[in-house]
Amino acid sequence: MKERITVDSIEQIKERIYNLVLDSQRSLKNCHHIDVRIEVSESKFAMAQKGAPKESGEESRMSLGVRVIAGDVFRATGYFGSHLGLSDLRNIEKIIQKGIEHAWRRALANASWKAEMKRVLDSIGESIQSTNLAQVENHKDIVVLGFKEDPRVIPLQTIIKEAVGVSESVEKLYESHGYNMIYLYTTFVRELFASSEGALIDQTYPLTEGFAHIVVGDESHYDHLGAKCGWEAIYGENPFNKTFRDFAMELAKETIELSKAEVLPSTSKEVVVITDPHFNALLAHEIIGHPVEADRALKMETAYAGRSWLFKRFNENQIGKRVASDLVTAYSDASLTGYGQYKYDSEGVRAKKVVHIDRGIFRGFLNSRETAAILGEEPNGSMRATDAYLIPLIRMTNTVIAPGNRNPEDIIKEIDDGYYLANHRTPSIGESRENFSMSARRVYKVKNGEFVKLYRSGGITSDSKDYLMKIDAVGNDFQIIPMPNCGKGSPMQALRVGNGGPTMRSRAKLTGGK
Amino acid sequence: MVAIEDLRKCVKDGLQFVKSQKDVRDAEIFASWNDQLTVRINYTSDIPCNGVQEPKNISGYGVGVLVVFDTSDGIKIGFGSDTGDLTLEGLERALDKARRGAVNDPDFKSLPFSSDESPKLISYHDRRVMDLEDEEMVSLGWRALKGALMTFKESGYKRSLIVGGDVTILKEKIAIANTLGIDNYDESTALMSSITAMVEEKDAKGTGWATATHIDNFKPEESGEMAARSAISTIGGKRIESGKYNVVFGRQAVATLFSELIVSSLSLSSIDSGNSPFVGRLGERVASDIVCIYDDGARAGEVSSKKITCEGLPTGRTDLIEKGRLVGFLANHYYSKKYESNVRKFTPRNGFRFGGGGRDFRHPASISATNIVIEGTREVTSEKLISRIKNGIYIGRLWYLYPVHGLARADFTGTVIGDSYIIRNGKLVEPLKPNTVRISDNFVKLLQNITAISKEKKSTITWGSEEVVIAPELAVKGINLENVAEFVEEL
Repeated sequence: MKERITVDSIEQIKERIYNLVLDSQRSLKNCHHIDVRIEVSESKFAMAQKGAPKESGEESRMSLGVRVIAGDVFRATGYFGSHLGLSDLRNIEKIIQKGIEHAWRRALANASWKAEMKRVLDSIGESIQSTNLAQVENHKDIVVLGFKEDPRVIPLQTIIKEAVGVSESVEKLYESHGYNMIYLYTTFVRELFASSEGALIDQTYPLTEGFAHIVVGDESHYDHLGAKCGWEAIYGENPFNKTFRDFAMELAKETIELSKAEVLPSTSKEVVVITDPHFNALLAHEIIGHPVEADRALKMETAYAGRSWLFKRFNENQIGKRVASDLVTAYSDASLTGYGQYKYDSEGVRAKKVVHIDRGIFRGFLNSRETAAILGEEPNGSMRATDAYLIPLIRMTNTVIAPGNRNPEDIIKEIDDGYYLANHRTPSIGESRENFSMSARRVYKVKNGEFVKLYRSGGITSDSKDYLMKIDAVGNDFQIIPMPNCGKGSPMQALRVGNGGPTMRSRAKLTGGK
Repeated sequence: MVAIEDLRKCVKDGLQFVKSQKDVRDAEIFASWNDQLTVRINYTSDIPCNGVQEPKNISGYGVGVLVVFDTSDGIKIGFGSDTGDLTLEGLERALDKARRGAVNDPDFKSLPFSSDESPKLISYHDRRVMDLEDEEMVSLGWRALKGALMTFKESGYKRSLIVGGDVTILKEKIAIANTLGIDNYDESTALMSSITAMVEEKDAKGTGWATATHIDNFKPEESGEMAARSAISTIGGKRIESGKYNVVFGRQAVATLFSELIVSSLSLSSIDSGNSPFVGRLGERVASDIVCIYDDGARAGEVSSKKITCEGLPTGRTDLIEKGRLVGFLANHYYSKKYESNVRKFTPRNGFRFGGGGRDFRHPASISATNIVIEGTREVTSEKLISRIKNGIYIGRLWYLYPVHGLARADFTGTVIGDSYIIRNGKLVEPLKPNTVRISDNFVKLLQNITAISKEKKSTITWGSEEVVIAPELAVKGINLENVAEFVEEL
C-alpha cells in the first residue's frame, strides 16, 4: 500500500499546530481569537445492488477548519475551510498559516463593515455588535472511544462480501420483483482542536453503519443501523441488537408485506395513537431537538432550518412554562452511548447534559459559546461540524424523551379504538417546529387492545404543543436510535445524531390516502 | 488557486501513466479545483447580532481516477482519488485505491466516449470572480444585508426585523481525459444570493434572490431589497379555512416543488431503483398537456450551466416532459448505457460530481440536474394567470416539502412560510399568514392539474439544491390546504 494519511498523522503535528495558533494570535494585528480544527478519517465502504457489487473503496481523508475573531472597534468572525491531502501534511504549518490569514482578513473586513453599517443605519444598526464568546474552561485532553474490531484492519474484501451477501439474500426474498441497495461503511476518525485560549483536545472514535433501501412495487423503505464502534456493529453490537443481515432482511420482509397492505385512510379528527420508540426517536428529533437549538431560537436560522416557537423574544418565550404533559421529560446527553456521544464539542467545550423539558415544563436550549453569551447562559458543548472544513453549528447530541414507568403492552391493551405506529419514515415540520406531519413504516388498527389490521403509507399530523400536551402514557421501553442524516446549515451539513424515547400514547389526525 | 493548465497536465500525464499499467483496460482521469465561498447573513433588530455571521469557504483540489481493470476474475471497475496533489505521486495513490476497491459490476458497459457534438459554452466564466479577494467576498454579503435594511429603514420599520440568508460564490475548474477519446476542461463561476426578511411581530416574511455568472451583473442588494419589500407587503396576513383550493404557485414554491420532488423522480437512477412514480410511464401522458419541462446545462448566462459534464461530455438540453407526455430522463453515461436499447436512447448530459464545495474529484459522476426549465405551450401573463384563478391562494414559498410515503407514491406535504396571498375575484387581496397552512397532496396529480403557466420566469435557487429552476408561476386546481398551529396565536 502507498504512503497515506493516517489518524496517527495527528500525533506528528498537534504540538506544532498548537504553537502555531498561539503565535499567530499574538502576531496578527487586532486578532483576538483563533481556533483550528483538523480531522483525519480512515474509512472503508462497499455498496451492492440486487445482489451485485457496485462500488467499494478505502479512503483516508484530512481536512482543516479555522475560525478567527478580529477587529479594532468591533470584533467579527472570519472562517477558512479546506480539504487536505498527504502533500499538504508535509507542509501543514504553511497551509494552516495561510488559512489563518484568509480567515483573519475576512474577519477584519467583516469588522470594518460592522462599523460602517452601524453608522449608515442609525438606530436600526444598534443590534449589530462585536462578536462575543462566553468564557469557558480550556481543556487539554486526549479522548479515545473504544472498539472491538478496528475499522482500519477489517479487510475491504470482508466488507464487500458482507454487502453483496446481504443484498443477494434480500433479492431472493422478493424473487427479483424489486430493488435493493445495501451500503456498509466503517471508519476511524480523529479530531484535533487547538485554540489561542490554550485548549488542545484530541478525540478519536470509530463508527460503523449499514444502510438498506428496499423497493417492492410502489412501496419503498430505507433504514439504517449503526454505532460509534468498530466492525462489531454489523454483527449485532448496535442499538437494535441485531446483525445487519437480520436488520436488512426484516426490512425487506416488511416491505413485501406492506406492498400488499391497504393505504391508511386519513382522518379529519384526532384519534388515539400509540407510537413506538423508533417512531418517537424522530419525533424527539423534530419537535424537541430542533426547536431547542439556541441558534434557531435567536432567529439565526430563519432563512434555512427555521426558528423556534419556544422563543419569540427575550420577554416572550416558553422558558419555565408548560409545553407538554407532566409525563414528558426530554434532554440531550452526549455521555450516553449513541451517535451523539462525545466529550468535547467543536469549540472545545465539555458537553453537559441539558434538560429541555422537565415533567412538561420547558427548561432550556442547546447552545454555542456565542449564543450562550447572548442568552446569559453557561455554554453546554453543543457545537459540532460534520467535518473540519465545515463550520460548527448547534446540533443535537443524544436528544431523547425520557422513559416512563408503563409497560408498553398495557399502553396498547387499554385502548378500545386507536392506532399503533411503528418505525419512523419521513417528517415534514413547520418552520418554527409548531406543527408536524410524520409518516410511519407500519400502522396498525387497534381494537379492544389488539392489532386487527395493518396499513401502509400512513402517519400522523398535529400541532407540536397539542401533541405533547395530550401524551397520557409513557412506556419504560426506552431506546436510542442512530440518526444518520440531520441536515442543517449552508452549505448543507448532514450530521449523525442520537435520538430516542419510549412507547408513548397521544392523540393526532391520521395522514394517508385521501 | 490552481491553474487550469496544471489540471490539464495532470489528466494528460496521468492518462499516459495509467495506460501503461498492465492490468488497465480503460481509464478516466478527472482533476478539479474548487473554492466555494459563502457569506452567511444574520441580522436581528431585537437581538444582538453580527450582521454578517460567517464569511467562509471550502476549497480543495485533487485527482480522481475511474479504472477498468483486466483481472483473473474478469473485468473490474474501481475508483480512487487523492487530495492536494496533481503530480504522478498523487495519481499513483489514487490508482492504488481504485485497484484495491475494484469490483465486478455486471451493469457497467463502458467509460464515456467522445462524440462529434461540440460544447456550446466556451470561456463563459468570470476571471474577476476567480480572483475575488477576501474583502470583496465579505462586501457582497454586507451589500445584500444593506439592501434589505435600507428598504426597511426607508419604509419606517425599525423593530422586530430579521434578515438571513447568504451570498454564495462558486469557482470551479475541471479537466478530464479518458482512454476513449475524452479530453476537455471547463472553468465556471457563479454568484448567488438568497435572502429571507421578516417583520416578525407582524408575522410577515419575504424572500429575495439574485443569480449571475459575472460579478458585474451580480446585484446582491437587489435580493435584500426584494426580500424586505415582500415582507412588508405580507404584513397583516390572515388565516384560511382548511379545504381544497385553486392555487397559484410562485417561483420559489415552484422551485421547491421541482427540486425536492419532481426532479429526483425524473432521474434515471430513480427509475433504476423503482423509486419514482414515472417508472414504466415513458411516452405516457403524466402532466397537463400545456406542460413542457426540460433540463438545459448549456443555457447561456445561467449559474448551473457548464461547458461539459463531469464525464467530459457536452452539456445540453434533455427533454423530460413535452406537452404533458413523459419523453426522457436525466442520465449519466453509466445509466444511459444500462438502459440503452435499439428503440430508446438516453443522452448522458447530467453526469456530475457535485459535493464537498464544487465539482468533487473525490467521487465518480452521479446524476444531477442543471437548469430545469418549465414552459407552457400556451403561456399567459402573471396578471392573467392570477385573474383566471378567480378565488384561491397564491403560495410564494414552501417549506420542508417531502415525499412522505416515498417518491414512488408521489404524496407530499409541507408548510407555507411566506410570500403568500389570498386571491379573490382574480386579485391578490390580502396576505396569507406564514406558518399557518400545511399543504398535503400528490405531485403527479399536481402536474396533471396545472391549468396555466406564466410567461415571466426567473432563475430560482432553493436551500440545499444544486440545480436552478427557471421558474414560472403555475396555476393548479384542487390543492389540499389545512389550517394549522392555531395555538401559536395564544402563546
